[in-house]
Amino acid sequence: MTHIVVDPVTRIEGHLRIEAEINEGQVSDAWSSSTMFRGIEIILQGRDPRDAWAFTQRICGVCTTVHAIASIRAVEDAIGAKPPPNARILRNLIIASQCIQDHVIHFYHLHALDWVDIVSALSADPKETAALAQSISDWPKSSATYFKGIQDRVKGLVDRGQLGPFANAYWGHSAYKLPPAANLMAVAHYLEALEWQREFIKMHAILGGKNPHLQSFLVGGMATPVDPDKQASLNIHTIAQFKKLIAGAQEFVSKVYIPDLLAVASFYKDWAGYGAGVGNYMVYGEYPLDDEANPDLYIKPGIIRARDISKVEEFDPSKITEQITHSWYDYAGGEEAALHPSAGETKPNYTGPEPPYERLDTSKKYSWLKSPRYEGVPMEVGPLSRMLVNYVRGHEQVQGLVNHVLKTLGVGPEALFSTLGRVAARGIETQLLVDKIGDWVDELADNMGKGELRIHDNSKWEPESWPADCMGAGFHEAPRGSLGHWVHVKNAKIERYQCVVPSTWNAGPRDSGDVPGPYEAALVGTPVADPEQPIEILRTVHSFDPCMACGVHVVEPGGREITRVKAR
Amino acid sequence: MTDRTPVLVLGLGNVVCTDDGAGIAAIHKLLREYDMPEGVLALDGGTLGLSLLPLVDNADQVILVDAIKADGPPGTQVRIEGEEVAPAVYERLSPHQIGVADLLAGASLLDRYPDRVVVIGVVPESIDLGVERTPAVEASIPELVDRVVQELTAMGYPPVRSSEIRDESHGSAAHVARTLGV
Repeated sequence: MTHIVVDPVTRIEGHLRIEAEINEGQVSDAWSSSTMFRGIEIILQGRDPRDAWAFTQRICGVCTTVHAIASIRAVEDAIGAKPPPNARILRNLIIASQCIQDHVIHFYHLHALDWVDIVSALSADPKETAALAQSISDWPKSSATYFKGIQDRVKGLVDRGQLGPFANAYWGHSAYKLPPAANLMAVAHYLEALEWQREFIKMHAILGGKNPHLQSFLVGGMATPVDPDKQASLNIHTIAQFKKLIAGAQEFVSKVYIPDLLAVASFYKDWAGYGAGVGNYMVYGEYPLDDEANPDLYIKPGIIRARDISKVEEFDPSKITEQITHSWYDYAGGEEAALHPSAGETKPNYTGPEPPYERLDTSKKYSWLKSPRYEGVPMEVGPLSRMLVNYVRGHEQVQGLVNHVLKTLGVGPEALFSTLGRVAARGIETQLLVDKIGDWVDELADNMGKGELRIHDNSKWEPESWPADCMGAGFHEAPRGSLGHWVHVKNAKIERYQCVVPSTWNAGPRDSGDVPGPYEAALVGTPVADPEQPIEILRTVHSFDPCMACGVHVVEPGGREITRVKAR
Repeated sequence: MTDRTPVLVLGLGNVVCTDDGAGIAAIHKLLREYDMPEGVLALDGGTLGLSLLPLVDNADQVILVDAIKADGPPGTQVRIEGEEVAPAVYERLSPHQIGVADLLAGASLLDRYPDRVVVIGVVPESIDLGVERTPAVEASIPELVDRVVQELTAMGYPPVRSSEIRDESHGSAAHVARTLGV
């Protein structure tokens, strides 16, 4: 038996480490550990709840907007603020554009190199690549000359030793299945996606100003003025800019991302049989479509259990708890307690080995993540959960897109419960959102036309207007999955704050009943051809989008580090 | 292109990770105390990584202001330029290192790496969670700001000390800076 340690670094909440046992060429058991304390909750205690979003926005550099959204929603829920329609629309635009950009970056820049061999691309015949590209899409950049140019550029980088993010991986590994021509196409689109995302995220610059961090959030609404005739506002010109960026996004996603996804997936259909995980899927729901107390949501909430896609349960936030049996925390109520986030506690108590260490004692506490559970059961969150729940609930657009992908690949819905299913669901969701986001721009333009320019509910700005003691929850579907913030406000100050983030749901450790979390369960059964180059483990972990680059350490059974491989 | 940025000054780091926020604190202090000459864009880039690409690859010269792991006690001033930048960024262990590496690699892959990239920073003592910087690093921030000013001056873009200390910009950006204690 070989014991492998994969020690990647996530940017969402510090460092993520995977330990795995390999038996007869496949993972027989796995443990997921976050090795960095994340305790934003402690920093927030005693602060003005209206400022909380500015702090939570800095939890993670890659998804700044998501913690701002969850935070303002939680505080609004607590104090009873009601954002006007334009604030809802602007938030939908921010959330959807963040998700679209994030998914494209994930596919091309964080995950593609697990499937695409750059070195093989150098030996491709550009004519074959052109023929392949033209057979799957009418995207204009598809000539042999164009692909030859890309190949020369990458060759130049290799020759100068400037591979950058391409430098560290498993080139030539037997697990790479794409022919050279397809590898070259994917490399070209890697570069095009880099260029495209750089343009598309101007959506955020328009919505939040030149400052890289969106400063336009505000409890009770937004701080971005809306006025069709004013220069410094979102106006008729910005509507036109949005439309142009969205049209470009639609074209890129439907002509590049989705065809690439289908082309790559067709060579890796065996990965529809690996990486299923816990088989329970949870969605909080996102994109409010009206301004009622319980608005209709474009992406519906729900729970699917045990891969049973004959039914969806309603999501009930009161059923969420967090356990710490295997987490470096104390609970006043003891080791076995399971606390709802509204009564959550963040009392760190590190009992792990002194770093640097070779192995964690996984029979004890082994992670800085808690174990979130829904009615005591682990849940996977993210694009796959969202697309499954909405597929089963009869969401017309989701059904259409999912069926198209399944039909093209010649597989049934059961193929979705897998590493490949997770990758496909992310692409499907991207298409869903680029097709929808324009509707919110139209709604904003309509409001401008009607003279509905309100962006903020001032009635609950002053703390005097708040209940002396109130609690609230803010739910958000971040690109990586369901995110919840819970806040308790007492005498105008934050008494308690708890965040349960998507990666805690997915990457959390075993619970009090020793039931593995989603990463841990998904890795069991994953084939590993070469324990010194465990690219297959990265494929499954990356399919959850943990937003990381990783250094991979491979450890002999005796525990000695025999090689150190740096992955992206 | 007419809308290129001659000099971009970008503060990097995480203000909720103690000394990792040194670069952010410096950039806000710079903006409070100096007027930037035309052609200089100074911004708090946080840990945004690839999202900063449109800013970086549109700039001719870039000054990154950051906490930098290097020899020397906490608060030691560090300056890196040219070919040393990429390895320094890859080697540093901080919660945002990957984002900066991706950012520079992205500009390079698109063949739009700025003509010049200079990293100016200080050696951190701690990057643990916390909104306050350690005393040694906090004490080094005024000098860090002076060094950014000197760098800009050497580039031919001298900032002018403003007559009064004021909010660096109107509205919510300044409010956020105050809220975060930078």
